[in-house]
Amino acid sequence: MTRATAAQAWRDGVDRVLRAPAIIVGVWLVTLLISVPLALSVRVELMNHLGTSLAAQSAAQSVNYEWMQEFADQATGLGATVRPTIIGFAAVLDNLSAIADAVPRPVVVVGVAVAYVIVWLFLAGGIIDRYARGRVTGAHGFFAACGGYFFRFLRLAIVMGVVYGFLFGLVHGWMFDELYPRITRSVDVERTAFLIRGSLYLVFALLLAAANVMFDYAKVRAVVEDRRSAVGAVVAAVHFIRRHFAAAVSVYALNVIVFGLTLAVYALLAPGAGSTGWLMWVGFAIGQLYVILRVSVKLIFWASETSLFQSRLAHAGYVAAPTPAWPDSPTAEALRAAPTR
Amino acid sequence: MMALASLTAAAASHAEVTGTIDPPLSPRNASYVIDAKLDPASRTITGSEVILWRNITTKPATELQFHLYWNAWRDDRSTWLREAKLGARRPVPAVRPDERARIDVTALGVRGSARADLTTVMRFIAPDDGNTDDRTVLAARLPQPVAPGGSLTIELSWTAHVPRTFARTGVIGNYYFIAQWFPKLGVLQDGGWNCHQFHNGTEFFSDYGSYDVRMTVPTGWILGATGVEREHHDNVDRTTTHRYHQDDVHDFVWTTSPGYLERHARFEHPTLPPVDMRLLIQPEHAWQADRHFEATRAAFQYYGEWFGAYPYGHITIIDPAYQSGAGGMEYPTLFTAGTRLFALEHVGDPEDVTIHEAGHQFWYGIVGTNEFEDAWMDEGINTFSEARVMGTWAAPTHFGQRYFGGFIPYLFKDIVINREDVWNHLAGYRRAAKEDVQSTPTYRYYPASGGAITYDKTALWLNTMERWLGWPTMQRIMSTYFSRWKFKHPKPQDFFDVANEVSGRNLNGYFDQVYRSSNVFDYGIQDLRSDKDGDKYRTVAVVRRYGEAIFPIDVRVTFADGKQVVEHWEGAERWHLYTYEGTEPAVSAEADPGHVLLLDVNRTNNSRTLAPLNAAGPEAATKWSLKWMVWLQDYLLSWSMFV
Repeated sequence: MTRATAAQAWRDGVDRVLRAPAIIVGVWLVTLLISVPLALSVRVELMNHLGTSLAAQSAAQSVNYEWMQEFADQATGLGATVRPTIIGFAAVLDNLSAIADAVPRPVVVVGVAVAYVIVWLFLAGGIIDRYARGRVTGAHGFFAACGGYFFRFLRLAIVMGVVYGFLFGLVHGWMFDELYPRITRSVDVERTAFLIRGSLYLVFALLLAAANVMFDYAKVRAVVEDRRSAVGAVVAAVHFIRRHFAAAVSVYALNVIVFGLTLAVYALLAPGAGSTGWLMWVGFAIGQLYVILRVSVKLIFWASETSLFQSRLAHAGYVAAPTPAWPDSPTAEALRAAPTR
Repeated sequence: MMALASLTAAAASHAEVTGTIDPPLSPRNASYVIDAKLDPASRTITGSEVILWRNITTKPATELQFHLYWNAWRDDRSTWLREAKLGARRPVPAVRPDERARIDVTALGVRGSARADLTTVMRFIAPDDGNTDDRTVLAARLPQPVAPGGSLTIELSWTAHVPRTFARTGVIGNYYFIAQWFPKLGVLQDGGWNCHQFHNGTEFFSDYGSYDVRMTVPTGWILGATGVEREHHDNVDRTTTHRYHQDDVHDFVWTTSPGYLERHARFEHPTLPPVDMRLLIQPEHAWQADRHFEATRAAFQYYGEWFGAYPYGHITIIDPAYQSGAGGMEYPTLFTAGTRLFALEHVGDPEDVTIHEAGHQFWYGIVGTNEFEDAWMDEGINTFSEARVMGTWAAPTHFGQRYFGGFIPYLFKDIVINREDVWNHLAGYRRAAKEDVQSTPTYRYYPASGGAITYDKTALWLNTMERWLGWPTMQRIMSTYFSRWKFKHPKPQDFFDVANEVSGRNLNGYFDQVYRSSNVFDYGIQDLRSDKDGDKYRTVAVVRRYGEAIFPIDVRVTFADGKQVVEHWEGAERWHLYTYEGTEPAVSAEADPGHVLLLDVNRTNNSRTLAPLNAAGPEAATKWSLKWMVWLQDYLLSWSMFV
């Protein structure tokens, strides 16, 4: 494998994702299946509140804001999150803003998010393994890799949890609950406060990105090099990023741009409140296309980072112990498939 | 009549606005001449004042009582700060000692035949809660009583420290907003002094008079104040003294900052007197100047047409500095609006707050109610009026939400805000409906929910009255009340009396429900059935009063052939049964189909439908649960980025 530039690695990552559509579909289905029971629960709650009221007609045809407020005032748990901000692109803004401002969500929603993250951790091994090999691994191979790496990734998740917990629990609180109020306490021009807050968002986003890229490469190295130590994989990831800083950052930046473009496209196409009937399903389908795009973007992050890593370091000298046994490790497989120099 | 009004308006359009009004519009029994100097370095104000006060009660006055509002922020033991903690949803931010306020009267005396120095007999009293640590009311016994109709000239000197902003008063950076800042007499009534301590949830009350005020500030700083600037001159110490004057007002406020931009416009109307508008706006909001002027014009137009004319001929609009905490407040001939760096059009901000505060010139400024005791009479009546203007002039407006620390606004095109529910704040009322009885003196409301009882509930019950009696009757009630009580201090019964008189109905039962009770209104259709009985359908509709409050409502039953039967129910029983026999089954039944009773806290149960219309419920539930699902998926995917 020749040494790829960031752009080449990114394009190769896109290719790898597109060549494995089953993964996109699979992850989308997982996202759908996790959310469907909750949506059904919300539906029951909505139906119970609407009963046979005439209010249902306007709620069906457009937005019955009066009813929506009435519902939200008496709802708890999941129902309490049924607010105007679920409509169209506002949903995206709402969630990004909630992350940026560390807005707490109902416990049940957070619980589902934790479960979803665990599912991703399970799938991560199979997904990266599939992209690393660049060939069909089949359901058996895919899930074998998922299972093989799951417990390693759970250990890695502890490290990730500590780092992200530190960032969201301490750094975010310090930046936005202490530093920001202190800096802006005597600011009497909103533009200044906005710039300060924007700068803090940027700094926090960079910290998140740094952690994110580090853990991405930790997973990539864990899979590609069949590493068992979570800490070792993180250390190896840091080494890789340090030695290939420009390329690693460039690949990540390209992915962030694509992420931004995805949001921009959805901002333009996101359906409004809409009506019922087939238009409702068209709106839902647009929403699912957006979800598929978001899933794809996440997968492109991993695929392009895998591609970059493999193009730069996937040779025997960088394979972690134990020595790979044919044909277990993707690295070994890559070496075997590599053209003779 | 119209021609005469036009002539008057035209004549007024040529008159120079000086702040002098002749003949007097008010009793002018508490007039102030004040001289104050601001020292930005030490953030202190040194002032002296002369009050010409007249006893307009039927009882002799044996003592004087003054408000010293700024002592509310002197320490944590004041009633204001204790109440702030009681009602706070989050901890009250700590302030540094140098950011606290204080006002110290250094000399108090009376002139004339009863000349006396009262400095040594000054004492703090706490008429509301007996809090001996509260220093917001100062009393001094007079050497000899002032007989009814008698006058007194009072002299005071004081020093005050300007706080970091509390309750729209204070300083941030070089932005000063100076309100409730001078020792101010309470209102003497036949029952004695009405001079409440400063409370966290209530505002102010004082007598009308003329104000002539000199304010000395650094040269080059822009100054805005109640009234009209009569003169200004520069001093040798790089300060400038501005003199403002205004007759027939009950308060005086001022603001100064080197950062203001100044804009001017004018309100003109065929039948209303013109108003010169002066806007002091933050540079970052300069592009929103016209929005402030247009909203103020709308307020003067509609309030003028509906209630009565604004007589002062000028208004100063203040766009306060960011984080000054001075936004959304009313003072005579001056009000503060409040906008944001990013302010989308058609969301209602800053138009809403501008109309509300401009509207207070009528309900507070001109009709001078007691905000300590009956805050609903200015805030509630004004919210009702403002909502009517927003529904008339600003429509359509849309729901908006702010994200990312409140900086980024987003407009929901699909959600058009209506006056009845949103501008009247039904949601706010619903959450606090049982918290307090409105007739409780406002300063005794629970601090966290007092606003909903004061603003929201009043707007809803006045709007309900409008829908019940019709706007022409309601407009006559409001304009008669305005005309009869302008430049006076009406009490709630005065409003009720006008409403009964003008409507020609006894509305006391209604006022008992909405004003003298915390009961909630909730009517609903409990049951609707249409059973086939031979060739006919037997339809049963049960309407129920779920809430404790009573209001007469209509009940409408609609049949499959489109025929509708409207029944009138007095609403006093807990439930009522309607039965029908006919060839068609019922399709729906609605309690209060005209949506007259805006205080109904649960509208969803007001109607029931039978097949096939009831498919709408599952359809609506499906639609909204699908939207919610995409929101949830996006939320989940947002967290997946950290895997």
